[in-house]
Order: sequence, then structure tokens, then C-alpha cells
Amino acid sequence: MIEVAGLRVVLPPSTVALDGVDLVVRRGELVIVLGRSGAGKTTFLRSLNRLVEPTGGTIRVAGRAVTGAGADEVREARRHIGMIFQQFNLVRRASVIDNVLAGRLGYVPSLPSLLGRFPSADRELARACLEQVGLAHLAERRADTLSGGEQQRVAIARALAQRPEVILADEPTASLDPALTSTIMGTLKAINARGLTLVVSQHQLETALAYATRIVGFRQGRVAFDGPPAAVTPTVVRAIYDES
Amino acid sequence: MKKAAAFVAVVVLAWLVWDTGADPVRLARGLPWILDFVLRMLPPDPSVLPAALVGALKTVEIALLGTAVAAILALPLGFVSARNVAPRAVFYPARAVLNFFRSVDTLVYALVFVAAVGLGPFPGVLAVVAYTTTSLAKLYSEAVEGVDPGPVDAITATGATELQVLRFGVLPQVLPLFLSYVLYRLETNIRAATVLGFVGAGGIGFYLQTYLRMIDYRAASTVLLVTVAMVMVVDAISSRLRDRLV
Repeated sequence: MIEVAGLRVVLPPSTVALDGVDLVVRRGELVIVLGRSGAGKTTFLRSLNRLVEPTGGTIRVAGRAVTGAGADEVREARRHIGMIFQQFNLVRRASVIDNVLAGRLGYVPSLPSLLGRFPSADRELARACLEQVGLAHLAERRADTLSGGEQQRVAIARALAQRPEVILADEPTASLDPALTSTIMGTLKAINARGLTLVVSQHQLETALAYATRIVGFRQGRVAFDGPPAAVTPTVVRAIYDES
Repeated sequence: MKKAAAFVAVVVLAWLVWDTGADPVRLARGLPWILDFVLRMLPPDPSVLPAALVGALKTVEIALLGTAVAAILALPLGFVSARNVAPRAVFYPARAVLNFFRSVDTLVYALVFVAAVGLGPFPGVLAVVAYTTTSLAKLYSEAVEGVDPGPVDAITATGATELQVLRFGVLPQVLPLFLSYVLYRLETNIRAATVLGFVGAGGIGFYLQTYLRMIDYRAASTVLLVTVAMVMVVDAISSRLRDRLV
């Protein structure tokens, strides 16, 4: 589902964020990416949908070339890749349902969408996605009137509205308390159980081990560990997190 | 260092006082004349009230139409002169052109447009449009530069086109700010438009200047009072609308 080979990202002016990453993620996996701050987790996730421009290497997602693709092909690839962010990244002044509808932007006719017109099928799909995360009753509320946990569920609904094959989640629970963390991770796990492939970055080791089908540890822009949660021993933890 | 700066400041100020001929004694000697002027304005002449009201209405019209047209013209300019949206090749020339035209005041534009299209409110409208478009474009572009990049990332990640990203990721963030800037500009334009009549560009300033020239100070004071009332009313309405936006 995701094939990454020799991925290298140099962020301006000259920070090497990723330094030769090779990784293949199979359909239906729930990969949790671990690593210290600055290890390259976020850059890795953002490379997968070209929010970050890779310096070298190749990426294929859901059978589509992400690297070396033109603007239209990148957009086409992005439609099939949902993304969830630490800060939810909802349009604060827009209603909840309009935020979810934004997930359809890659599919709907461009000109009518600019005038705020969406086909009724897309509106129904957006409503169904909102129902799926249990927030149908808040559809007409302004996004910024919702709590953090609710906003993140709206963001998940927006990603689901894309009918994606892959969902990327960049520290989806870092801004939430422990109870909400398990709610959100549980929602992501349920989405994974229905066959979607997920790549999630996490800073909490216990949470990662509880939900992942596979753990990938990043260290200084390289993959330092790759294996099932059961194989994460104290030695592995040190290899990912220890100083120098 | 501080002492040197203070010394330089004192020297510069002293020179400014000398070079502009600023003289408190002269001001004191002039005070009776100001008092005389004010006394001759009293009581205001109510017979020119209808004319003053017509002039005030025209001034409001000039400011409203000019601001409305400028608010729309400034939209594309605001985006092309925003660092985080426009490509560098567009951004730098756009900024330079805007700064150039913004450095000229509405009144100067009015002189130009009166010469070009003749007397009346129309050159006034054109002058307001010319200045306000560039000043709003600058304010718009700063709002665009201040957007939260998070929602923009999120909309981009859905596979949206660049126009869709602007429409759904940027516009909802900046639109309330844009409207607030437009109202603020409307308030300052009402004030600016009151003097447009001095150079023949229509509105209440024309009456003020006419009565002053005719040495009809009581009529002029009526016009002044109407001007003050007009500015206060527009300010009150506009600031109330602005409060609702934020």
C-alpha cells in the first residue's frame, strides 16, 4: 500500500530530516511511528502526501507515484490519503459539516465548489462520516465551539469523507488528555479494522504498543527499529530514545 | 550612548522649532483672533441646514461607493501581494507598486481626477477608490500572511486545487478581518471625503469652503456641525458592526 525507498528530505536551509528511509507498509496494517522530537516522524508522514517536498528517493501510495508526479497527479494521490493533525486543523469559523465536506474537495466539480455548492451525494456522505464518529448532532455548530476531542473526531470524519485507502495521523492525541487519547486511538483502530491502512505517529510508548500492528522507530532520520509490538524490548526502546 | 541620543533629539527638535517658525508668543497674540473667529461663527445659521445636509449625504455617498469598489478591487491585489500565497516573481513587484500608490493621499488623487474628469462627486469617488484600493490591499495581504497554516495544510491534504485551498483554507480565516478593515477604511474615508470638496471633488467640503470664502462664518459653522454629526454617526454604526465581526 505504501512503498518508500531511499527517502531523503533536507529541510531549508540544511537540516537533514530524513536520511535514507526504506519502508513498505502492507494493506490493513496499523503502523505506529515512534521517535524523539526531531527524529523525523512528522517529516516522514508529511512526505507521504507531499506536504513536504522530498529531496531524494521514491514514494508510492495506493499504487500511485507520489514522488516525480505532476501537480494533478499529486492531487489525485492525495484524494486517497486522509490526514489527521495534532492541532486538528479545522477551519475554526466554518460549521462542523462544512469542515467534513472539505474532505470531498478532491472529487467535486471545482467551479461549483468554489461557490460553496456540493452535490447532494457528497453532502450525504459527509453526514454519514460525521455519524460514524458519533457527532451527527453537532453538524451545524461552528467548529471552534467544540471540545478538543470532538474537533479531532470531526477531523477524522473529514479524512473518512475522502474515502481514503490510507490515513496518516501526525501525533493525533498529543493535544488531548489520556481518556480522550484512548477514544481517538480506539476510533482509529476501528477504522483500521474495516480494512484501511493507517500510519500514526505517537510520542507515548504504551499507547503505541497497545494499538499498533507494527512499530517503526525513527532515530535521527533513519529507521532504527521495525517490527511487531511484542518485539519492542527495553533494548529496542533504548535504541530509539537514548541520548547519542 | 543614551545621552548622545538625547542630545541629538534636543538639537533636532530645536532646529525644527526654529525652521518652522514655531513661536508660542505669536500663538498667544493670535488667540484673540481665534476667539473672534469663533464668536463670529455663533449662532450657527439654520437657513443653510438643508444645503449642508445635502452636502453631507453626498460625502457619505462618495465614501460608501469609493470604499465598496475599492474593497472588491483590493481582493486580488491583497492575495498577489501576500508573501505566503504569491510566487516571489509576483509578490515583490506587487508590493512595490502598492507602496508607490499608497504614498499618495486621497486629496492629491482628487486634484488629479478633477483635472481629468471635471468637477463634482465623481472625481471624489475615483480619488477614494485610488487610495483605498492600495491601502486595503496592503491590509488584506497582511491578514493573508497571518493565517494559521494548519487548516491550509489540511485542505491541501484532501487533494484540493490551489483555488479551493484559498477558498476553503484561507478565505474563511481572513474574511471577517477583511470586512473589519473595510469598515475601518469607510470611517477614515468619510473624514477624508469631507475635504474633497475643497478641491472641487464634491460633498460637504464644497459648502464649507464656499461659505468661508463668502466670509459667512455662521453658515460655515452650521456646515461644520453637520460634518461632525455625520462623522460621529457613521463611526458609531461602523464600529458597532465591527464589534460583531470579531
